[in-house]
Amino acid sequence: MDAFSISRVNKNGCSILYLNGFLDAHTAPELENELEKLIAEERFNIIVNFKDLTYISSAGLGVFMGYIENIRDNQGDIKMCSMSPKIFRVFDLLGFPTLYDIVQEEDRAIELFYKPEQK
Amino acid sequence: MKYLSQLSLLLPLAFFLGAAIQYMGQSSDYTIASMIIRDGFILISLILSLPLIYKQKWTSDRNVLRGLRHLFFLVLITSAILFLSENRLASLREQFFDSDFFRINLGDNVLVVSWAFFAIVFILIALGTLRNLIYIKRKKSTAAIFTWLMIFLLLYSLTSLPEYYPDSVIHDAALFKYINYVVLFILINFSVINSFRVGWINYLNKKQKIACFWGGLILVPVQGLFVVQFREINPIVSFSPLLERFIEMGMVFITVYLSISFLALLAHLPTAKLYDRKMQQIQSLHDLSRALSSEFNWTKLVRTIVKLASEVTQAEYAWLELYNHRDGALSLISSKQLLEFERQNWQAERIGPLIEWLKRTKETMICNQVNKNDLVKNIQTWKKDVGSLIAVPMITSDRVVGFLYVGKRFEFGFEQDDAEMLRAFSDQATIAVENARLVEESIVKERLEQELKIAHEAQMKLLPKKMPVIEGIELDAVCVTANEVGGDYYDFFKLDDAKLGIVIGDVSGKGPSAAFYMAEVKGIMEALAKEVLSPEQMLVAANEILYKNFDRKTFISLIYGIIDAKNRSFTFCRAGHCPIFFVHGEKDICQRLEPKGLGVGLDPGPIFAKSLQQERIKLKRGDTLLLYTDGVTDARNRDGDEFGEKGLETALLAVKDQVSIEIKKHIIHTIYSFFDGQNAYDDLTFVIIKAL
Repeated sequence: MDAFSISRVNKNGCSILYLNGFLDAHTAPELENELEKLIAEERFNIIVNFKDLTYISSAGLGVFMGYIENIRDNQGDIKMCSMSPKIFRVFDLLGFPTLYDIVQEEDRAIELFYKPEQK
Repeated sequence: MKYLSQLSLLLPLAFFLGAAIQYMGQSSDYTIASMIIRDGFILISLILSLPLIYKQKWTSDRNVLRGLRHLFFLVLITSAILFLSENRLASLREQFFDSDFFRINLGDNVLVVSWAFFAIVFILIALGTLRNLIYIKRKKSTAAIFTWLMIFLLLYSLTSLPEYYPDSVIHDAALFKYINYVVLFILINFSVINSFRVGWINYLNKKQKIACFWGGLILVPVQGLFVVQFREINPIVSFSPLLERFIEMGMVFITVYLSISFLALLAHLPTAKLYDRKMQQIQSLHDLSRALSSEFNWTKLVRTIVKLASEVTQAEYAWLELYNHRDGALSLISSKQLLEFERQNWQAERIGPLIEWLKRTKETMICNQVNKNDLVKNIQTWKKDVGSLIAVPMITSDRVVGFLYVGKRFEFGFEQDDAEMLRAFSDQATIAVENARLVEESIVKERLEQELKIAHEAQMKLLPKKMPVIEGIELDAVCVTANEVGGDYYDFFKLDDAKLGIVIGDVSGKGPSAAFYMAEVKGIMEALAKEVLSPEQMLVAANEILYKNFDRKTFISLIYGIIDAKNRSFTFCRAGHCPIFFVHGEKDICQRLEPKGLGVGLDPGPIFAKSLQQERIKLKRGDTLLLYTDGVTDARNRDGDEFGEKGLETALLAVKDQVSIEIKKHIIHTIYSFFDGQNAYDDLTFVIIKAL
């Protein structure tokens, strides 16, 4: 089974999660833990960078749904960036672009936290 | 045969009686002929009765004590009889030697003959018993050496005869005397060689050795006295010198054998305890390995371990502590002779230093003064009366799985030897414990698999059992789950004669939770379909209900469509699901129908409703629609390549003109050859709609 890993970088008041590898029902708990940690640290401005993610299953998508309500209630958001076409296709099929800001550039995602009007 | 061998005992008896009658019938004057006849009878009788020695049976080979006890009473009774009839016998013997005209009355004759008979039976039985002792742990030569002893015993008796025959017959008495001495010399040698076969003493345990010691203390002197006395008063010589010599030397051999055995026993006595303990330890190890191979019942196994641990070390208390596999907590698993409140008081923290030491060094702790040892004395916080203690870590492949303890109330209760024994024992016990754990785990796993299998069957029942029939349309579908249960789902609803509702969906996540949600979705869709809603209304209504019931992480992608057979159309809505593949009958292209639409359960309502786009297509003859779940396109082969939409499209186009069942077969076949033996990650589900 392909491995999955997460690294976190704090940048301009945002927490950026870099996902790497294979996100499915088996590896989803790792992402859950990471998001829970962020929430516990009250870092609600979260950017998820999908640059190195090779696969995402429905269980992986479900993780974002599980925490988004709490994060938005705290004036935060999860913004997504740098998806490969294949990954974007999964999000797109389910209509995630209507629920989340999905952009190409990481910097653009950071901007969105500060200039929401440009959305 | 059995009777025959019993009858054969009568034969020596007959010869013996012949000799007796001849003896009693004769007058005082011995004739050479009568002497030869008498001694001939006795010799034949003796030879014929030798099998009596060889055929004596033990109740069991190992039960040496029984044979010894018989011998003990035999000697005592014979001696008692001898001493009781001492006076009469002695006077008879004197008469025989003193007077030239030896004439005795009938009563005395009977006494002598009876005594001779009694003595010879005693000798035969006693020799038989000794033979059985000698044969224990026999070697190749054992039987031969014993038989030579018997042969020389007979030869000696025979060569003594000339002494009693008149000089007129025996011309060279001195020569016969020398021959007799040589035979005697060899006989003594064989007696001694046989007397050193006392290996049976090894097999006695301490208790039996002590019993033998006391028995020997009586038996050996009695037998000694018996032999001495027998030589002095024995009147058998008047009946048959041959018999007399035989009995005499037999007696001597028995005495020598018993004396040497007794000495050997004395030599063994001091080590009897140690020997006993070694035997017991070996037995315990043996018991354990038997328990190891057969006992997978956890409770019984740990109880056996504790019981045997206390036995091998002869300890008063024993207990076993093991780490829990899941949370790594140490707990008291089983104990022997610990009181209920002591077990209650046991806490891993209370023995921390000792456990740390055992884990670090992996050595055995032997402590003979518990309250003087800083590492160990904490034990007394929950078990007050421990004086000495051995603790052993139980190790498998460098991992400490637990600890085994034995203890005694008093101090200095253990030796180094006990520690080593417990160590060897705990190594075996560790294997047994690990085995039992593995078995238990595999049983649990098997049960879970069984339950999943039942769940799988239950879920399969939720899918349509057969394809609905609708005019001008051919349908087929397949649902294969990668795990026992999954979140894939399809269904058909007959709305009226011309209308058929079709749904396909994929619950997010995997396994049982996805399966439960799938069942819920099925129930809701079935209920809603009865209302004959449009696909869009249907999905909005379903989303409203499911959003409330779903866990926030869970959602489902759905397509709901209605086939209208009357005006040959397919109206559908896509809620986040994979596109529909649409292949026109006359064209070789595959169109992907992918109207906008959010997955069900992602949004409470407004956004979802706004996102949906209902679409309607006309169905012409030969058109094919393929509805599938992402398990089909996500399928990966060994190299990690995806089957993909492209792969599915190619497979579909290749058979687009065939009937639906052929299309189904071809797609399944193509996907499985793509897997090439690799297991599917996801479930495979698709529905084929073919317009005729």
